[in-house]
Amino acid sequence: MSDTAPTAPLEARINAPASDRLDAVKERLRTTLSASGAAAAWDWDIATGSIVGDAHFAALYGLTPEQAAAGIGPKTFFSIIHPDDATRIRLAVGGMLRGAELFSKEYRLLAPDASMRWVHARGRCHFDAQDQPTHFDGVLVDITEQKRVEEQLRIAQTAGGIGTFEYIDGFATAAVSAQFCALLGLHPANDLPLRTINAVVDPRDPLIIDIAVRPEAGVAIQAEFRITRPDTGETRWVKRCGEYLRDAVSSGLRFVGVIYDVTEAKRTEERLRTFNETLESRVEERTRERDRVWRTSQDLFVLCGFDGFYRSANPAWQESLGYAPDELLGMRIDAIICPEDIPFATEQYSQLSQGLVIRDVDLRLRAKDGAYRWFSWTCIPEGDEFYAAGRDITDRKLLEDQLRQSQKMEAVGQLTGGLAHDFNNLLTGITGSLDMLSTRLAQGRYTDLDRYIGAAQGASTRAAALTHRLLAFSRRQTLNPKTTDINRLIASMEDLIRRSVGPAVDVTIVETAGLWTTLVDPNQLENALLNLCINARDAMPDGGRLTIETANTWMDERTAAERDIPPGAYVSLCVADTGTGMAPDVIKRAFDPFFTTKPLGQGTGLGLSMIYGFARQSGGQVHIDSRVNCGTKMCIDLPRHLGETDESTTPASRIAMQRAEQGETVLVVDDEPTVRMLITEVLEDLGYIAIEAPDGSAGLKVLESSTRLDLLITDVGLPGGMNGRQVADAGRALRPGLKVLFITGYAETAVIGSGQLETGLEVMTKPFTMEALTTKISGMIGKA
Amino acid sequence: MTPSDIALSDLERDALTELVNIGVSRAAVALRKMVGEQVMLSVPSVEVITHKAAAAVIGERESTDLVAVRQDFSGAFSGRALLIFPQTNSFELVRAVLGPDASDDEVAAMETEALAETGNVILNGCLATMANMLQQSLTMSLPEVTRGDGKQLLEPPDAIDGAGLVLFLYINFSVRDRDIRGYIAMLMDVPSLIALKILVGEFIARVMDDDMGQGG
Repeated sequence: MSDTAPTAPLEARINAPASDRLDAVKERLRTTLSASGAAAAWDWDIATGSIVGDAHFAALYGLTPEQAAAGIGPKTFFSIIHPDDATRIRLAVGGMLRGAELFSKEYRLLAPDASMRWVHARGRCHFDAQDQPTHFDGVLVDITEQKRVEEQLRIAQTAGGIGTFEYIDGFATAAVSAQFCALLGLHPANDLPLRTINAVVDPRDPLIIDIAVRPEAGVAIQAEFRITRPDTGETRWVKRCGEYLRDAVSSGLRFVGVIYDVTEAKRTEERLRTFNETLESRVEERTRERDRVWRTSQDLFVLCGFDGFYRSANPAWQESLGYAPDELLGMRIDAIICPEDIPFATEQYSQLSQGLVIRDVDLRLRAKDGAYRWFSWTCIPEGDEFYAAGRDITDRKLLEDQLRQSQKMEAVGQLTGGLAHDFNNLLTGITGSLDMLSTRLAQGRYTDLDRYIGAAQGASTRAAALTHRLLAFSRRQTLNPKTTDINRLIASMEDLIRRSVGPAVDVTIVETAGLWTTLVDPNQLENALLNLCINARDAMPDGGRLTIETANTWMDERTAAERDIPPGAYVSLCVADTGTGMAPDVIKRAFDPFFTTKPLGQGTGLGLSMIYGFARQSGGQVHIDSRVNCGTKMCIDLPRHLGETDESTTPASRIAMQRAEQGETVLVVDDEPTVRMLITEVLEDLGYIAIEAPDGSAGLKVLESSTRLDLLITDVGLPGGMNGRQVADAGRALRPGLKVLFITGYAETAVIGSGQLETGLEVMTKPFTMEALTTKISGMIGKA
Repeated sequence: MTPSDIALSDLERDALTELVNIGVSRAAVALRKMVGEQVMLSVPSVEVITHKAAAAVIGERESTDLVAVRQDFSGAFSGRALLIFPQTNSFELVRAVLGPDASDDEVAAMETEALAETGNVILNGCLATMANMLQQSLTMSLPEVTRGDGKQLLEPPDAIDGAGLVLFLYINFSVRDRDIRGYIAMLMDVPSLIALKILVGEFIARVMDDDMGQGG
């Protein structure tokens, strides 16, 4: 059958040049053929075993075209097949020679130059009338490059999870890749029936390869579908992209495409879709929840603008303060804030407007009925608005007030108890002395009576001092403030102070030159200074340095606020020691009445509380700067007073007892018979005519009479509807210019008048000595 | 006997594939004559698998009921050969065989007979050719048409013990404009498979010797 081989035209093309260049030419040809993928044809005569090849075949095998045209044996045919493929190919060729019809194998060739090439051999057997094979012809195509690409494609498919398919229109099967089968969960195969492929697809979804679709060539289509993997039963999403091409061989259409798993993407997409679908309802739900909180909360919620107006309020406002939310709209924020809280609120508002969140700010709001309620506010700024939430803490504040009140009552109890104790001690001294006097008088023993009288007087004096201090603490003492130069006051006391503190303490006085004057009761200031110095001495049992210092100070807003006094100019008087100092808890309680660190019996604990009361009443303050073992500095700050120094600050010296002139009459109004009796006796001793009245109305009758009256001495607190002030006023109305001396247990400033008393009116505070009374009366009547 | 004893080497599998290729080629030639259309054959692959696995392979690929033409064979190796079509394809096959002039009634009436004849041509062509290549002869029973699912069809005959295996051939017949495809399954017991393996070995040796000798 060699005569049938299609080699003649090839032979004609290649003349046989005898030159040495032939080999080079052939080599070039072979390389070109390989590279171009041109087919090398053969024809195998089965009966003779002779294989005829064309020039391409000859070039592949390293033969001359003549050799190939003449025919070669099977041994030569197999000789250049790679050893690893040789057996397989020989078996396949064996099958062909024995009646198999189609031959299609890929295998490797080892060229004469030892280079390796992949070829695809396609062949077909031809049969005679008896169905016996006669010829086996075919072509070899160099697929080295294709193999490389296929390998890359396979790797790409596996790595990318992409399966490929190719379907020729009209066939029932499609060529598929291994990855294609793996993606669908099918056993690997090269060809799969369409039914097998499409059966995995969910009936609701498009088919992978739909033969009913017959689009034009060049149409690219894609679809997504769910599959149920036959191997695992798992449902996956797969995407198919394919293109219809005109098939060069069959003139029909080829559908070529890829599939890949998009389950994750679909799930994500599904989740996103569900999320989007439910977003609105979830937002609504969230909004409803917020609304519910807004509506049902008992706390006040409000949205305000930094323009200072309420913008939105929750219903709690109605419940709590009586304002319907609508009423608040357009209302100024500060409109219902308690006026007392406005400065604080303004300060907080300024912080808030700077973008700071403010918390636990207690402000009172006025309810619609006018009552104030306390709210603790938290405010959060946001843009040109802020949100505020207020919790009603009125009850808490009430409880706090009650607690404070009960603490006060406890202090009062402590005070009263301490007072009673001290008074009982003094009373014991007085009554004991009087008992002794009475006994001695009854026995007719008149010697040594002075001792008892002196003891009783001493106890009385101490009792008077005690009540004075108490009054000082309660700020009810009657102060007699005078424009005072503190430097001068200190100078006048220097000797006394040095004697009091003893030689172990070195006293230094640092006077500020040009010290401002202050309006203060100099006597009380002396007391206070002495008290401080004695405290300082007691703090330095082993001696030390005592420094008395004065200074002009200026209290700024902050310091003033800290010390609870108005800002401005102050004169400070400080007493510093180098003693034991005080612990913070002691400092905290130092001004408490009856609080003392001194051993029992050495101090009443009223000293500092008295100084505190005095300073406060004088418009100033006392503060302590002390640390344990680092000494103590106590300062009294008193407001500066612009005025001339009153020269008569020194205590009045005892003036000579003055006898009354003839007929000078004094009306004494007091409900206490003892006091009335004592005063009357003193008056009569002095030569005055004394008229007694037990209450205001009785006094008034005397005043209405035509009796001569040079002086009215009246208690301020009187029974019977009229107080001393009213009696005095009535008296002065009836008798213009009538001199009045108020005697009072404490300064009823409201009754007497808080300002300076009018001319002719003076006050004496009980208790007083008869000597002081005498001096006072003489002075008043004498001034006439 | 365990499956490992009858496991095929790569070479044996290649050789068996070529044997089947020869047989199927013959069958396709015969089928082509009957159908009068170009018949495409995918290059078959060969597996020795259990009945269960074979049933699973068919069940996976063919969801509908199946129809099979069954022929038992005996000789150097014995067993049962099955040409399996999807039920829905059998009608198409019969129509392809009978020609376009046959009416639906005729096709329906002749379906079983036509199937049996077609099956006989294919299985005989395949098995006889293989036996011939292996220089053996086989006795074939008359074709029988059965229907059922893969599991029922691949149920081994009583003569074959439960451990029997299947020589499973994937053969996709794709006939242009006719939706026809099928499988050939050869159910054999272990002794038959061992015999077959030995015969294949001899075939390999023969091919190597003869072809090299030929014109060598």
